[in-house]
Amino acid sequence: MKVLIIEDERELAQSIADYLSGAHYLCEFAATYQEALEKVEVYEYDCILLDIMLPGGNGMQILERLKSLNKQDGVIIISAKNSLDDKIQGLHIGADDYLAKPFHLPELAARIYSVIRRRSFANTNVIQLNELQIDLLGKSVKVHQELIPLTKKELDLLLYFIANKNKVVSKSAIAEHLSGELADMLDNHDFIYAHIKNLKKKLTEAGCANYLKTIYGSGYKWEL
Amino acid sequence: MKNLLNKPLRIFTLYSFIVLLCSIPVYFIIIDFIWVREVGEHNRIKSEATKQNFRSIKFKDGEMEKSIALWNRIQPETKLREVDALRPDSTYNEYRKNTYIPSKGLDRYEGRVTYFELNGKFYSVTIETNLEESYETILAITAVTALFFIILLIGFIRLNKKISTQLWRSFYESLQKIKSFDLSSLKKPEFDKTDVIEFEEMNSSVSRLMDGSINVYRQQREFTENASHELQTPLAVIQSKLDLLLQSQSLSAQQSAIIDETHKALTRVSRINKNLLLLAKIENQQYADQESINISLQLEEQIAQLSDFLATKNLKLQEQIAPDITMKGNKVLVEIMLTNILMNAVRHTVKNGEINIRLEQDRLTISNSGEASLNSEKLFKRFSSADANSPGTGLGLAIVREICSRYQWNVSYNFENGVHVFVLSF
Repeated sequence: MKVLIIEDERELAQSIADYLSGAHYLCEFAATYQEALEKVEVYEYDCILLDIMLPGGNGMQILERLKSLNKQDGVIIISAKNSLDDKIQGLHIGADDYLAKPFHLPELAARIYSVIRRRSFANTNVIQLNELQIDLLGKSVKVHQELIPLTKKELDLLLYFIANKNKVVSKSAIAEHLSGELADMLDNHDFIYAHIKNLKKKLTEAGCANYLKTIYGSGYKWEL
Repeated sequence: MKNLLNKPLRIFTLYSFIVLLCSIPVYFIIIDFIWVREVGEHNRIKSEATKQNFRSIKFKDGEMEKSIALWNRIQPETKLREVDALRPDSTYNEYRKNTYIPSKGLDRYEGRVTYFELNGKFYSVTIETNLEESYETILAITAVTALFFIILLIGFIRLNKKISTQLWRSFYESLQKIKSFDLSSLKKPEFDKTDVIEFEEMNSSVSRLMDGSINVYRQQREFTENASHELQTPLAVIQSKLDLLLQSQSLSAQQSAIIDETHKALTRVSRINKNLLLLAKIENQQYADQESINISLQLEEQIAQLSDFLATKNLKLQEQIAPDITMKGNKVLVEIMLTNILMNAVRHTVKNGEINIRLEQDRLTISNSGEASLNSEKLFKRFSSADANSPGTGLGLAIVREICSRYQWNVSYNFENGVHVFVLSF
């Protein structure tokens, strides 16, 4: 999978690339408006991470160019502005998602995973991981062909872990993923335990191997 | 405090009163002086004429004495007498009752005694003329002066009125505009052109001052917004590095704990930054578009999202939500406001406590069990409730108040019988 990171803050771009490199992502960089435009016009990417404020121009124009070229690349806007207008405008022009800085890398990975999955809907609307089978369209999960009833949040959590497989995901990242802004208003993230405990229980009881490991003091890891 | 235009009016009135008052004795002295001089002159001419006429008559013996006696009988005021020696002329001024015309009070006389010699004998002639009495003169002058003073006073008041409505009109118009100037609207009033130099100068000076204030205010607001924006990227870098660090295989439990603590602090910084940005944006009149919002539905959606947090703290929630209460406002802002006030209740309710939410036509009441009253004065101020040990940013309620004030809603806090009560009246 090819990902283009259009971001002028090199450290951030590097972190994203490092995090994604473990999975089967191939990252390229563009730090200026001009550079980004050239790459976007010439190559095809599965997903483009687009910063709005770039040296030399506005990221929105890159998005517009992309759409006028009729390119099918998935686009996630990552912006420091967190402005509603930008979000609405970006999604209107054709971005797939909008993520305000600062964000957790696992959150970004989940969004990228979701965008790519949606882009290539036709052939991957079912995810098969050993005995685990997730039907994205029907929103159902099967273990050994046996349907297990997961709540909306548990399914969300499961996909989140799969998008971040073999990565340690912190509790605060999970909390933020589940409850958005509400999570960081609270002093503890205990509410995630219940969901994780239930998810684990339902999977293992159905005969699924225990892929979800608790990393003491850090968080959780989906090991495969 | 007096009206600007009434101040000179009083001073002018006082001044003209004093001047006119002083003019009364001056007029009197001058008029009296002229009177006395003219009458004196008259007396001299008369006495001189009498003297000369006497001399020109050739009296026979004894005829002279008879004539004098006759003269004195017919004109008793002009005494003609024989005296023992010639003396220099003398004048006198006296008040006495006249014996011929009935009158109240005394009459004033100016008299002159002159001496002459005739046929070796000496005679004195006294000529008297009735003169205007002093008090009558003073009375007349005072009356005339008072009349003029009244005319002046009426003139002053009428002119003052006229001046105030014409000359000062542009001043009062400017004053009205300055009064209604609201810095936070960032709009400067337009002053009308005037042909008075001072007013034009005042208007342009005030205009300049307003421009300056508006600029400073705008810069200050933009500064907060820009500073928050600039912080987002480095915060994103730190966040991403921490997420990466967590991936290291060789992390000890202690190191993981450090990362976790750093994460928590970072989350707090990010949140403060986000909230500051939000406040700056609200102040900068963003989120301007309004729509009709069904508060009842919004509130129910928000409450549904709270279920996780309620379960963790084992809180009991009671809700009484009147259906289909609508409000005009910005959807995003109303959502933020509801979130903040609800999360505030969740956060500050003790474990196993109770939260009560009641929505009525004109108010939203959120009460939760607590231990001690909070400082209601500081509660809604920025950073006043921030506490290093709590994850709160100290901005949540400030945002609630900012949003409320934008729509002229009122938010208040009360502590009654171990229950914190927040009331939001629309």
